[in-house]
Amino acid sequence: MTTSDVDSPGSAARPLVAAHEVSKVFGSRAGEVRAVENVSLHIGVGETVGVVGESGSGKSTLARLLMGLQPCTSGRVEFDGQDLATVPGKELRVLRQRMQMVFQNPFGSLLPHYSAVANVMEPLRLHGRGTKTSRREQADALLEMVGIHPGFGELYPSQFSGGQQQRIAIARALALEPDLLVCDEPTSSLDVSIQAQILALLGELRQKLGLSCLFISHNLAVVERLADRVAVMSQGRIVEEGPTERLFEAPEHPYTRQLLGAVLPVTM
Amino acid sequence: MTMTQAPSGSSSGTPGGPLLRVRDLHTEFRSEDGAALRAVDGVSFDVEPGRALAIVGESGSGKSVSMRSVLRLLPRTGRVTAGEVWFGGQDLLRLPERQMRRIRGRDIGMVFQNAMEAMNPTLTLERQLTEHLLWHGVCTKSEARERAVRALGDVGIPEPERRIRVYPFQLSGGMRQRAMIAMAIVTRPALLIADEPTTAVDVTIQRQILDLLAGLKDQGTGIIMVTHDLGVARYFCDDSVVMYAGRVVERAPTRELLSRPRHPYAAGLLGSSVELGSRDRPLHPIPGNPPDLASRPRGCPFHPRCDRAVLPRCQDEQELIQIGGARAVACWRAEDGHDDQ
Repeated sequence: MTTSDVDSPGSAARPLVAAHEVSKVFGSRAGEVRAVENVSLHIGVGETVGVVGESGSGKSTLARLLMGLQPCTSGRVEFDGQDLATVPGKELRVLRQRMQMVFQNPFGSLLPHYSAVANVMEPLRLHGRGTKTSRREQADALLEMVGIHPGFGELYPSQFSGGQQQRIAIARALALEPDLLVCDEPTSSLDVSIQAQILALLGELRQKLGLSCLFISHNLAVVERLADRVAVMSQGRIVEEGPTERLFEAPEHPYTRQLLGAVLPVTM
Repeated sequence: MTMTQAPSGSSSGTPGGPLLRVRDLHTEFRSEDGAALRAVDGVSFDVEPGRALAIVGESGSGKSVSMRSVLRLLPRTGRVTAGEVWFGGQDLLRLPERQMRRIRGRDIGMVFQNAMEAMNPTLTLERQLTEHLLWHGVCTKSEARERAVRALGDVGIPEPERRIRVYPFQLSGGMRQRAMIAMAIVTRPALLIADEPTTAVDVTIQRQILDLLAGLKDQGTGIIMVTHDLGVARYFCDDSVVMYAGRVVERAPTRELLSRPRHPYAAGLLGSSVELGSRDRPLHPIPGNPPDLASRPRGCPFHPRCDRAVLPRCQDEQELIQIGGARAVACWRAEDGHDDQ
């Protein structure tokens, strides 16, 4: 958990990834859908940026643009100073290893016919890292790091609970030692007690590995807990952005206030 | 809201008594290899008119199966093996299916998590709402449409006269959820069972839906709210029942439960809750995973995950111990002298 650097806007850190006035328009029969409109956002090295918003606000599309999984309609995304749209395919493949993603539905994101350990080994194999033996060792160590006993490595994803599946998905995302981890609603399909376990794990790993994180959630309390800086999205735009503490204590935009006002307290 | 009619309280139990009394409910599922899985294991609770009861628990705790048992909507592999469900002076578990069908949807309304799955996608809202009224013989055909429009208006759907002609898929998620609530309340049920009604909607919509349900409660409807969200329980429910592995582990007025949970599992749930402004409070996740029903731990089902467990004492069955007037806890520590919190 960050403490002292919360008040600095985080721009002091060198940006690892930066979106410059990006827009994404999807065409459909009913007309154009402007999913992301003129958004600028950067994530500094070692920084965690949270994106909150309701369904359809464009937060997942923004993540896909930042990851270079979809081309921007306009604007550009730079990863470590390189414009993702102009990087040639071969180099992009190398660059991609440095950014990994964790999704909401762990079961849907794991290969069901691969064992847990094979799932974690797969990105290493795809990128030709190490030998079969070394990949296996690395995968075992990763599983252990996320709290899955390597003795269970031969089980298939369906034999694990949702929380354990998410741990395996996190281990796989970390296999290539990425600089950037993008988490899109990583705890939204999990039970409260399991959500707490995964949040604690993500907080721990982020610190231990010095990861930069983009953390997307509709759950404001989760974002408040993990992010150094938060962007609030509504209808494809960032309506407010600021250091977590400032934004949650003194929200300026009416929409941010409306969102915060709708959260139901548990104990306070 | 503009509801004037009182709920159909005439069909409920003795005046002043609880609307619904569930006693020692047991439900089993047959697994593929023929073994019996105890999904609900001796659950009891009451619902009072004009009050809301939260049934709190995580997936697999048996909260939804309990509701389906009460409504007798279990899948074919499931069976209620023991217990009583008293509603309107009758034990619902002993009613012929024909009579049960008359109660379900008329005297007991139901709202589920996913409106898209609960509604018929090929029927307009008008058909869904009016057929429901006519089937139950609540009113005449000429009145039905008017009542349906009024119900849609009551749940805050703008332009109900026009919207009643649309199909469920033409509505947004929040509007669809409201339409389902309209369907559940159009017959003015005495009891409303809502199973995670706001889990799939955005926070701002969640608040509106809860406020809508609160209006019903104020008019005398008894509500059961199945939820995993303690914030929802706190905002909306007068009383709470916490379930774990098919059992009630704690029962208390919601405020008391949340200010001082007595069962270690309830305390663990609270310690796992992330809420606004709690950034500096360390999380205390409950270690491990909920038990598999096929291999339920002996005695207190929570003891393998409990940091305060004492063996072999916790391997004995833990009865619900009454503490004070309205609270009960299934943990021996809750008895006087043992609770060192």
